[in-house]
Amino acid sequence: MREAMRQSLKFFVVLVAIIALSACKIVIEDGSTGKTDAGVSGDNDRIAALIDKTFDAQLFPEIKTKAQDFETFRKAIAADIDKAGQRFGHRGAGQGAAWNFSIKGTGTIVDGKLDSRARTFSVDMDDDANADLLIQLGPVVKGTALRDFASFYNFNDFRDQIEFAKLGRALNDRATASIEVDGSGYIGNQIEFVGVLTLSSSTTRILVTPITLQVAP
Amino acid sequence: MKPKHIILSAIAVVGTIFATSAFADTIAIITPSPDNPFFKAEADGAKARAEALGYDTIVLSHDDDANKQSELFDSVIASGVKAIILDNAGADASVAAIQKAKDAGIPSFLIDREITVTGVAVSQIVSNNYQGAQLGAEEFVSLLGEKGKYAELLGKESDTNAGIRSNGYHDVIDQYPDMELAVQQTANWSQTEAFTVMESMLQAHPDIVGVISGNDTMAMGAWAALEAAGRTDVVVVGFDGSNDVRDSIKSGGIKATVLQPAYAQAQIAVTQADKYLKTGSTGVDEKQLMDCVLVNYDNAGLLETFALTN
Repeated sequence: MREAMRQSLKFFVVLVAIIALSACKIVIEDGSTGKTDAGVSGDNDRIAALIDKTFDAQLFPEIKTKAQDFETFRKAIAADIDKAGQRFGHRGAGQGAAWNFSIKGTGTIVDGKLDSRARTFSVDMDDDANADLLIQLGPVVKGTALRDFASFYNFNDFRDQIEFAKLGRALNDRATASIEVDGSGYIGNQIEFVGVLTLSSSTTRILVTPITLQVAP
Repeated sequence: MKPKHIILSAIAVVGTIFATSAFADTIAIITPSPDNPFFKAEADGAKARAEALGYDTIVLSHDDDANKQSELFDSVIASGVKAIILDNAGADASVAAIQKAKDAGIPSFLIDREITVTGVAVSQIVSNNYQGAQLGAEEFVSLLGEKGKYAELLGKESDTNAGIRSNGYHDVIDQYPDMELAVQQTANWSQTEAFTVMESMLQAHPDIVGVISGNDTMAMGAWAALEAAGRTDVVVVGFDGSNDVRDSIKSGGIKATVLQPAYAQAQIAVTQADKYLKTGSTGVDEKQLMDCVLVNYDNAGLLETFALTN
């Protein structure tokens, strides 16, 4: 009887221990007195989770709904870039930060730089045979327009500029991951796109990071 | 009222007027050593703006030593300054000192380097070193035709910005499989150290075609070593936007640098401090990123003491 009780007790103790441990939450302290979330080693996971949560559900729709027709956009920034920015742009994080815009349209590919890691198409939007903008095709993407156009990514929510930069990079990678540009023979083709760009002044070269891209055969 | 009382009250009132008008409020400005023109420009910018707004100033240097920084904080707290403008000596190590000042009712406004917590300083106006490094690296890769062996000069390990810039450089360069890092070594932000380090890097790796440097003073040292070795074919890119590197770029030496708008940043910090002291708020978020700007031959002529005119 006693032996059976002792065994049951042992089992019971072990059972309680298992339950107690599984109810534990392991918190990683990084030693600073502010945020207690994990440090640099957790960045990639956190960023990936954030993108899973926001890219399709928030970023894509925001860029699409706020996209200005290219001609409207061009006229507005030539007239007054700050007014244009206040109407349909978004500033990046910080003092004197540049304006970010979303645009859409269809144009003709007049040139392509495909032998670089930072591939681009030069596109003529107004039928005068001159390129009006560059569309980035990746894999190397310049700038952080995707991050900085969004109304909901706030630098204050991130540990430091490294984590914030990783978000920018991950967004660029996500947007251009599905772009396939093989071979050659694109000159003269029509290209339809929606994308974002960063402009510090009305004469800055227009470099578009696309979220949708279709080249007519 | 008896005449004696009236006279005493009058003296008290006059005494109070003298006390409030004779001594202006003081703002302390604490930065790394002004031997580096970047930090001198910060201190000068902050001092100029503070005095224009009617403050007295104390300008001090912590020499990138967190202990010394802590002592300086103790002494300015004791002397009753109204606000502190700080370019800090360590992202984690500085938190305690800033908290101590906050507990004593003295707000801190950080420039250039951030700390890893929020809610302690009132403002953190931080250079976007990562973005700047990406700009410098993009220019570097482009100048090298996206291929070649290169060397990297790292900054002082205790300075968070050394790591941030190196990360930013590699975020770009490592996306190019034909770019090969031959050697990477610290020269501790020092021009003379960079000269020696560059000499030995060249001897061990004579086939390098480019050098990317964590800051301008090291880029200057590296360029001097390259010139002495007859290797002016090597592409050098720095970071900060100093007058020295500007002059080198204009004469075809170093190819590019990245400007941190140091002077403007320091002035903005003082403006925010003033607004905070007068209204209890700066009106903006604590953490503010200031983008850096690429400087190469095209715009080097517009650069003067860490500011681009126009």
